[in-house]
Amino acid sequence: MNPRKRTGGNVVIQSLEQIGNGGLFLLTLLAAIPRSLRYFRETIRQLWFVGAMSLTIIMVCGLFVGMVLMLQLYHVLSIFGSTSASGMVVALAVYRELGPVVTALLFAGRAGTAITAEIGLMRATDQIDAMELMAVDPIAYVATPRFLAGLIAMPLLTCVFCAMAIFGAHLVGVTWLGIDNGTFWSNMTAVVNLRTDIVNGVLLKSLAFGLVVSLIAVYQGFATPPTSEGVAYATTRTVVASSIAILALDFVLTAFLM
Amino acid sequence: MAFADIFGYLQRFRMMPSSMTDPVHATTDDSTLVRVRGLTTVLNGKTIFDALDMDIPRGKVTAIMGPSGTGKTTLLKHITGQMRGDAGEILVNGENVATLSRERLFALREGIGYLFQNSALLTDYDVFENVAFPLRQHTKLPEVLIRNLVLMKLQAVGLRGAAGLMPSELSGGMARRVALARAIVFDPMLILYDEPFVGLDPVALNQVLKLIRTLNRTLGITSVLVAHEIEAIKQVADHVFLIANGKVVAQGDPKTIAADGSPWTRQFFGGEADGPVPFQYPAGDLGQALGFSGAVK
Repeated sequence: MNPRKRTGGNVVIQSLEQIGNGGLFLLTLLAAIPRSLRYFRETIRQLWFVGAMSLTIIMVCGLFVGMVLMLQLYHVLSIFGSTSASGMVVALAVYRELGPVVTALLFAGRAGTAITAEIGLMRATDQIDAMELMAVDPIAYVATPRFLAGLIAMPLLTCVFCAMAIFGAHLVGVTWLGIDNGTFWSNMTAVVNLRTDIVNGVLLKSLAFGLVVSLIAVYQGFATPPTSEGVAYATTRTVVASSIAILALDFVLTAFLM
Repeated sequence: MAFADIFGYLQRFRMMPSSMTDPVHATTDDSTLVRVRGLTTVLNGKTIFDALDMDIPRGKVTAIMGPSGTGKTTLLKHITGQMRGDAGEILVNGENVATLSRERLFALREGIGYLFQNSALLTDYDVFENVAFPLRQHTKLPEVLIRNLVLMKLQAVGLRGAAGLMPSELSGGMARRVALARAIVFDPMLILYDEPFVGLDPVALNQVLKLIRTLNRTLGITSVLVAHEIEAIKQVADHVFLIANGKVVAQGDPKTIAADGSPWTRQFFGGEADGPVPFQYPAGDLGQALGFSGAVK
C-alpha cells in the first residue's frame, strides 16, 4: 500500500534525498548565522550543554584509550627492544586518528543524540511552531546556536581527549612499566609536527567532524516526524549516520592531508 | 513628557514591538478583520477547502466548528501564513497573507496571538520566562518594565503566583492560561484559539471561557475559536461558522444556527452518529475485502 515501501531502489533514492536535503539545510543554517548572532547567549548556553557537559565522558575515555594503547604498544615493541618509541607512537596515533575520530564518535553519541531528541520533542510539542507564530525564526534561535556550539566544542573536546590520552599513556608507560620519563617526552616532541599532526590531524579533522555531526543532529531533529516513534528513529539515525560519516570523512581527509 | 514623546522615544530605540508601531497593525475602518475569498486547498489528493469564503468580524468572538478532519486547524494555519492555499486569498487587516515577505509576515504575526491545543510552552523556561519570551525577542525594554508587563499578564490570567513554576509542574488548565498570557503579552489585534477547551475539567473550562470573554470585552481583541464544545460556544461566541466538505455550510449567531433545521446543523448540534457526515469512512466493497465473490451490504 505504501508507495515508498523499502525496495532497494527506493532506499537509494531516499538516502540521496536525505543527503540533498541535508545539503540544503546546511545552506539554510549558514545563511541564518548573521541572524543568530543576536542570540549569542543561546549559543553560549548550548556550548555549555554540548561542550562542558561532555567533558567527563571525553576525559575518562581519553584516559583509558591512552592507557590501553600504551599497554598494547609496550608489549609489541618490547619484542623488538624498542619500547622507548612507544610514547612517540601513542602521540602520533592519538593526534592523527584516535583523538579526532573517537571524540567525534563519543560526541555523536552523547551530544548529537541529545540535540536531535530535544529538537524532535520541541517539534512534537509544537514549540517550534509556537516560535514561528511568535515571529521568532526557529532556524536562527534553535538550529544555528546548536550547530555553532557543536562546531566550536568539537576541536576543544578533541584537544582535551588528546591531552588525557597522553596523560594515560604516561601513567602506564612511565609510572607503571618503567619507560624513562625523559625518553618518553623527548621522542614525542622530536616526532610530532605542528602542521601535519596538530593543525591537520587535530584541528582540521575535528572541525570537519564537528560540522558533520552537528549538521546531522540538528537536521534529524528538524526532519523527524513529530511523534514519539519519529523521535526515537531520528536519534538512532543521528548515531548511525554520524558514525558512518565520521569514518568515511576520516579516510578522505587522511588521504588528502597526509 | 507628553504621551507622544514617550511613544516616539520607545519607537526610536525599538522598545516597542512592531505589533504596536508597524503599519501592518494599523487598524482600518473595515469591520472585517479576516477576509477569506475563494480559498482552495488540496492536501495529498484530498480537497480540504473548496472555494471557501468567510468574513471574520473585528472585535467579536467567532467560532469555527465542524466535523473532525474538515480543516479547522488548517484554516488557522492559513490565517497565520504557516500554510498557503492552492487558490484564493486570505486578507488579515487588509494584508494578503500569501503574498507577504517573511519579514512582513513576522511583523503581522507580532499582532496575532495563537493558543495551541497543547499550550506549546517552552519546556526549558519557567512560567515567567515563557510569558517574557516574545518581549525579550522583539523589544529592548528595560528588565523592570518586562517584569511588570509579565506580572500584569499573569495577574490577568490568575497565575501571578505561579511565575516561578516550570511547565512540567502545571496542570493542563494552568498551562493553557500561561499560554494565553503569552499570547496576549503584546496586546494583539487577533487571537486564534485552537481547541482551547479540550481536556479541561469544568472549573478550568469556565476559567478559560471567562478569560476569552473578558479579553474580548475589555481589550476589544478579535477572537477566533476552533472548538467542538457546543455549550461553551453558545456562551462565548458572537458568530459561528460551520464548515464541512471544504465549504461553509451554515453561519450565524450560536442560538440561531443551533435551531437551523439543515441536515448539517441537525447532525452536528444534535450529535447524531450518522448523517451528512457518514459513520463509515469511504471504502470499497466489503464482500471483496472479505474475499467473498458476491457483494455484501
